[in-house]
Amino acid sequence: MITTHNVNYTYENTIEGAALTCVTTDIAEGQVVLLCGESGSGKTTYIKAINGLLSHYYEGKMDGEIMVSGKDISKVHLYELARDVGSVFQNPKSQFYTLMTDTEIVFGCENMGFTHDDILKRFDKVVKAFKIEDLLGKNLYNLSGGEKQKVACASVGALMPKIFVLDEPSSNLDIKSIHELRDIIKIWKKNGKTILIAEHRLNWLKYVADRVICFEDGKIKFDTTAKEFFDYPVEKMHKFGLRAPEKFEPKFSTVQDGAESISISKMKLTKNKETILDIDNFEIPKGAVVAIVGNCGAGKSTLARCLCGLEKKAEGTVKLSGRKITPKERIKKSYMVMQDVNHQLFTSSVEEEVMLGVTDLSEEEKEQKLSKILEEMDISKYKEAHPMSLSGGQKQRVAIAGALACNKDVIFYDEPTSGLDYRHMKEVSESIKKLNDMGKTQFIITHDPELVQECCNYFIYMVDGKIELSGSWNKENIRFVQSFFKLD
Amino acid sequence: MDTILRNTKASSRQLYLDPRTKILLCITVSTVMLAMDNTGIFVYIIPVMTIVPLIFLAIIKSPMMAVYYGILYLVAFFVPKMIVAYLPQAVNLLFTGVLATMTRLIPGMSMFYFLIATTSVSEFIAAMERMHIPKVMTVPVSVMFRFFPTIVEEYHGITDAMRLRNVGSFRNPMDMLEYRLVPLMISLTAIGNDLSISALTRGLDAPNKRSNMCAIGFNVQDYIAIAVSVVILILAALSMAFGI
Repeated sequence: MITTHNVNYTYENTIEGAALTCVTTDIAEGQVVLLCGESGSGKTTYIKAINGLLSHYYEGKMDGEIMVSGKDISKVHLYELARDVGSVFQNPKSQFYTLMTDTEIVFGCENMGFTHDDILKRFDKVVKAFKIEDLLGKNLYNLSGGEKQKVACASVGALMPKIFVLDEPSSNLDIKSIHELRDIIKIWKKNGKTILIAEHRLNWLKYVADRVICFEDGKIKFDTTAKEFFDYPVEKMHKFGLRAPEKFEPKFSTVQDGAESISISKMKLTKNKETILDIDNFEIPKGAVVAIVGNCGAGKSTLARCLCGLEKKAEGTVKLSGRKITPKERIKKSYMVMQDVNHQLFTSSVEEEVMLGVTDLSEEEKEQKLSKILEEMDISKYKEAHPMSLSGGQKQRVAIAGALACNKDVIFYDEPTSGLDYRHMKEVSESIKKLNDMGKTQFIITHDPELVQECCNYFIYMVDGKIELSGSWNKENIRFVQSFFKLD
Repeated sequence: MDTILRNTKASSRQLYLDPRTKILLCITVSTVMLAMDNTGIFVYIIPVMTIVPLIFLAIIKSPMMAVYYGILYLVAFFVPKMIVAYLPQAVNLLFTGVLATMTRLIPGMSMFYFLIATTSVSEFIAAMERMHIPKVMTVPVSVMFRFFPTIVEEYHGITDAMRLRNVGSFRNPMDMLEYRLVPLMISLTAIGNDLSISALTRGLDAPNKRSNMCAIGFNVQDYIAIAVSVVILILAALSMAFGI
């Protein structure tokens, strides 16, 4: 179904070497192939080679031969490939073109110029198969990431291609949505489609994938059956930079002295007459690293926003060591590392970015503080670089460095490791631990069990705007979180 | 299955109007407000044209927009008259003049908001195709439709980020603008790039005739609106040529 022969590719204007080197593969019809490897290892580039984007959208140097369902990719147009290859991408918010679910699902079919009746038939079929009747007639902007991703799958599904390629489809999804995405992939598999999935998160595909291809530095490192692959020991997986599907065992459990604490009482937020957050009484030790887990829409981000004072309309009081602090004070004391870290880098150099808003120090003190923080966050090398030229993880650290410079005490993270490989996840957890040593209190909204086990010593589980369960790592809690994250 | 795709007529969400009618209304209001003087028959037409957007905004159930519109218009209309006598000439020329020009711009802008709010991307593309406007023109404009909500979404994210860093107060307006615009541009560029990739892999650039699942077409209400608009535009043309 898909054959590539000695494919080499180098992106235009890159400082790195070839993105793909001598990639030769042969994928049979009906196979479900998991593509893994570190960030930048070439798995996404491989996906783009198959769906024709490399030859027709990006400007770069390519040689070798790619045949997809009997067509030479370099010789056919993108729109001709659309009937054969359906692509689902990583970011749910940037892959819908129209604003409504119904019109989005038929968008591809309309472009192809299918007849009115045919389109309606395809529409009914795909809606029924994916069980998305309840999403019809809705504005896409009001859907969650998981729902958007389902609509994106439905939209390419309606074209009924023989091949589906998915580029990190789960990175912005919660656990429940990943289950649903897997169901969709199973439907495609049952219908004999050929499916390629590039992913960092692996264990949800354990019983779906047939074959695993691992990339390293643009080359194929190994190519094996899924059965064999998922039996690899954890250390071997980590060596390849892969997220290992292992048991949930928290490794970080430093105990804080209970003297100081942050306590919340009667916190409530209502939006459009709906209560989206309702917390009666809650207390956490100061200096804890708290994982906030729960499915999408459970109020995790709302809790974080209320705590750091961004939601002006939130009721309730927050006390720090017994002293009441107003939302205004909270916003001065807290910082949030957003999911889209690009939103919070404002200036043209790392140095300037970190010291932005620091005015109460002399030049000399500033200089000292800056070099200390850059050292701590391991970004001294990039002192003069433009923040936007850095990698995702480095940008995150620049944002954290800025928070440190402003003497923030409480730091929130909104899914800091979505779409990160093992090494980068480790880096994030290391910097979280470092901040823990400095005595900062940290809250991490996450769907990533590995991050939770690396660096959290406390957790909150939320359902429908309420805290359902919370605490430190005792046996019961570990068992609970483990079953929550269970994906295979 | 119950879906808007099975509709054959414009729905209440579209305000029972064809996108083409709405575009014409938009053009009519803007033309009259921007190009015409308050003389002759337009002494009567201009006030009517200022009321029209208000009515539409009220119908599409966005009372906040209607109130904004009303206040903005009243301020732009009355404030210059009240203060013009007390200010130096230079200030009047720059500040008060701009404010007075606003009265001419606001109705057109509101009609544009109304157009965007009640027309979906697919309906817009469908309408453009019926008028045989080539794809090179419709695609960029349709993307614009999709981008307005995105800009709002991203903008809110950036505002939050700025509050957390306590930067960009009104004391340094230039800094504020920079801190807002740089991240906004960067994320919009990235989103735009992803968007075109996803649209192209679903065949947006296919040369064949695109089929259309949207219920667009003219009804009685469209004909009335079009007739009124055409009469007003003709009057405007006559007035410009001969000065009625």
